[in-house]
Amino acid sequence: MGTIVTIDIYTEDGNRDPAVSLGLARARATLRRADAIFSTWKADSPMSRLRRGEITCDQAPLEVAEVLELCAIAREMSAGWFDPWAMPGGVDPTGYVKGWAAQAALAALTSSEISGAMVNAAGDIASFGGPQPATPFKVGIVDPFSPGQLACVIALNGAIATSGSYERGNHLIDPRSKRPTTRAASASVSGPDLGLADALATALAVAGETGLTVINALKDYEAVVVSLDGTWRWTEGFPFAVPGQLPVGSEHPSGSVVSLRP
Amino acid sequence: MVNYNYGVLSVSITVKGKKITNVGIASLDDGGNFRSQSIDQQSIPLLEQQALQAQSANIQGVSGASYTSAGFEQSLQAALGKLGV
Repeated sequence: MGTIVTIDIYTEDGNRDPAVSLGLARARATLRRADAIFSTWKADSPMSRLRRGEITCDQAPLEVAEVLELCAIAREMSAGWFDPWAMPGGVDPTGYVKGWAAQAALAALTSSEISGAMVNAAGDIASFGGPQPATPFKVGIVDPFSPGQLACVIALNGAIATSGSYERGNHLIDPRSKRPTTRAASASVSGPDLGLADALATALAVAGETGLTVINALKDYEAVVVSLDGTWRWTEGFPFAVPGQLPVGSEHPSGSVVSLRP
Repeated sequence: MVNYNYGVLSVSITVKGKKITNVGIASLDDGGNFRSQSIDQQSIPLLEQQALQAQSANIQGVSGASYTSAGFEQSLQAALGKLGV
């Protein structure tokens, strides 16, 4: 995946006992395997070979069919705004795989010794538990107009993924026009599964705030979109840590804050 | 996020409450590549710094693309530059 993954583990006593080390080893193995299978910039990875038509899905590791099936579901759930089959150079599930792999790594950490854990894959976070019992993790969302600053803080319940044009330029492809398009400065999606949240955040960054109606229709998933003009809009249940507190980014000169009314 | 072909860098941080008790490299998936190992090692202080900053802000994590592009990526680029890559 060519990305940096950090794993934060919270234990009762702050020590790393064998169960924690075992969980970490399994999580790392999960990430390494996902990288080996799905990396599109390793020419000999099964995914690269599939894209070149050298192997079929049946000849690839089982995870490939699993991920492509999940991608098809994500495509449907995003009303087509996320579409790995519309990418240039053949099917490219990269927008799903990073979150999927981090979620799988998180699952490997499950242990009675671990009271909370976060797997952060380049700013997309899968989590369970919290820093203390019955306390959710608090996670800041980067202000797209001032990437060194945080715009708001959310109470994390599961996963959060953020996608935006500031990430690496205008790199998102609109599946409908097949052209690089961005209609949002930043889009974040929270929900139980990071693979789907990752795909939906990508979809929303392409679709812009009109895509919020798509997320709003999904059970358990919430989203916030920062428009190119600095306007913030979000679904009603978006888990701001302090409800009613306006995101810092909403102070952007041309910005205003409007909650989406479903 | 710029994609460097140096594999996955995994860093583990063991904490108790808000206190970070252990920050270290958990894994370097570099196939024993010395160059990539050097890059990773130079990035660690920055990872540690960001983790501590997040802690002081009373949050446990940061979501956003620039989490990498503003911090990690720059440090990786600097490291790559120093190594003449």
